Amino acid sequence: MTYDEPRYMPGGDRYMLIEFGNEMNLELNFLAQGLAGAIAAQRVTGVVETAPCFASLLVHYEPEDISFADLKAELARLIASLGPSDDIELPSRLFYFPTVYCDPWTRAAIEDYTAKINPEKEYDPAFVARLNGLSGPEQLVRVHSGTEYWVAALGFWPGLPFMMALDPRCVITAPKYNPPRTWTPQGTVGMGGASTAIYPVATPGGYQIFARIPVPIWDPKQRFREFKDSICLFRPGDRVKFVPVSVAEFEDVERQVADGSYEYNVVGYQKFSVAHYKSWVASLDRNKRF
Amino acid sequence: MIEVLKPGLETSVQDFPGRIGYWNQGFPPSGPMDSWSFRLANILVGNAPGAAGLEAQYIGPTLRFQRDTVIALTGADMGAKLDHAPVPLWRSVAVRAGQVLTMGAAKIGTRGYLAVAGGIATEPWLGSRSTFHQAGVGGMDGSALKIGHVIPVAAGAGIAGREVKHSARPPIRTDRRWDVEVCAGPNDDWIDAAGQARFLSADWKLSAKSNRTGFRLDGPEWTFAEKATNKPPEHGSLPSNIIDHGYPLGAINLAGQTPIILVNDGPSMGGFINPYTVPSAVFWKLGQSKPGEIYNFRQISVEDAQTMVRQRKAVCSEASIL
Repeated sequence: MTYDEPRYMPGGDRYMLIEFGNEMNLELNFLAQGLAGAIAAQRVTGVVETAPCFASLLVHYEPEDISFADLKAELARLIASLGPSDDIELPSRLFYFPTVYCDPWTRAAIEDYTAKINPEKEYDPAFVARLNGLSGPEQLVRVHSGTEYWVAALGFWPGLPFMMALDPRCVITAPKYNPPRTWTPQGTVGMGGASTAIYPVATPGGYQIFARIPVPIWDPKQRFREFKDSICLFRPGDRVKFVPVSVAEFEDVERQVADGSYEYNVVGYQKFSVAHYKSWVASLDRNKRF
Repeated sequence: MIEVLKPGLETSVQDFPGRIGYWNQGFPPSGPMDSWSFRLANILVGNAPGAAGLEAQYIGPTLRFQRDTVIALTGADMGAKLDHAPVPLWRSVAVRAGQVLTMGAAKIGTRGYLAVAGGIATEPWLGSRSTFHQAGVGGMDGSALKIGHVIPVAAGAGIAGREVKHSARPPIRTDRRWDVEVCAGPNDDWIDAAGQARFLSADWKLSAKSNRTGFRLDGPEWTFAEKATNKPPEHGSLPSNIIDHGYPLGAINLAGQTPIILVNDGPSMGGFINPYTVPSAVFWKLGQSKPGEIYNFRQISVEDAQTMVRQRKAVCSEASIL
């Protein structure tokens, strides 16, 4: 549910956590990102930085400049002035990524896990398809690649995007690994709960994995111009589209990345309008699948 | 320039307050864990309190100075020697070109700090020189010190023989037991009354599986309020699971039944509750404690935690120099 009034909770001497509700839906993330945007635009006194997540916003503040009580009052005023989430418009870049679904690299990671940790583990694409009532990995590919994804938050590892499907006909869910995997290839695409993530580097992980992209979303050497301001590609509010390609195409892009000639496929002129999005969703049959 | 002859266990370049402003991309601030000792070291050698210096953990480095300078050591006592003469802590010391500083194992405390006049002048990354070695950024090529590194130092004129007043030094415990102040929240209401009382009365032992990302604690089982078990499924299956949310630095993060204090290099978000938070002015105690030592938590208000920060800032100033 969405709370009637947001909840303001302290985290030590310099953090406030604002919770908008206790479920995972886009609406709550729009509220969190809308407030983050408004705080930045209004330059609220004493706010050092904010970090939106699915249903909440963490605010880091400087107590020498504003007290917890004053910050709470200030943010409550700001939230009231924002009105309904329909009014929220956020700058939103759209990234297209060549993606190999059911690829050999994540298959190797899954097989390694099956051999060493849990022999009962079903092959992830088959497992996720079955749980979501899809006919098999082929339909999983169609459904998973059939939507734009909304970058709701970044975290866990620097630059790792937590994303949610924007098209309700493509919403699927998956439980996490138990116990977690000890390794996941860089660029792996996976799911846990209703969230899709891309692993910026090879790390342990708990998401079900079924695809891989050759394009870096994390670039410590800042070789590509998309990383001019940071070594992380994404910002909250960006969108991602996975474009299924073959292993040969993947390897071609991988070569371009290696020699520095790769050009990121990104659309940079759009704003995301919550009102437009909602009226589009209302026109859809949410029970349909691709 | 300072040449690294031995790197120590994990010695890194840090500045204060570190890399601020990138929490929404998942970058922690890093910075010194005991910023009290760190700032005083800088003040002793005439630097700004936050200038970049070295943090040595458990076992300190061996360093050769390539030019005359002034240094100061604070924090843990690592039995430092300059050539063969012992170096006092909490005091600025003149060093001649070619002299070798040898730091050993921490005898009192855990993390030792070295400031050098002018400050370390590695290339800042995202506005900070602090090392976040897990991601390979900041400091010396994104890593802890290695043999053969040559650490650049900016020009600076320090004065030898300056000393920090006894009353201004952090009281590092030697009895293996620490009183650690905490603030309730953000998720204290997920723990039942018995669980809250248990947290505040129990002995919590610092686990060896602790590092600059998180301090794991061993102690009694946690019990939960009704909202921890009666919740929508997207929160996750464990009572301590919550829909992924932002983590305050210092949060006592409950991963299943294991509390982990998220410290300077910690994660920015995740799917576990944070019933309590260690306020920033108390981090120095974490930084100076060793695995196996005991924490007893004492609850204070947010306002008291903020007062502590102001008091600490006043102590980390020229007024504390004799």
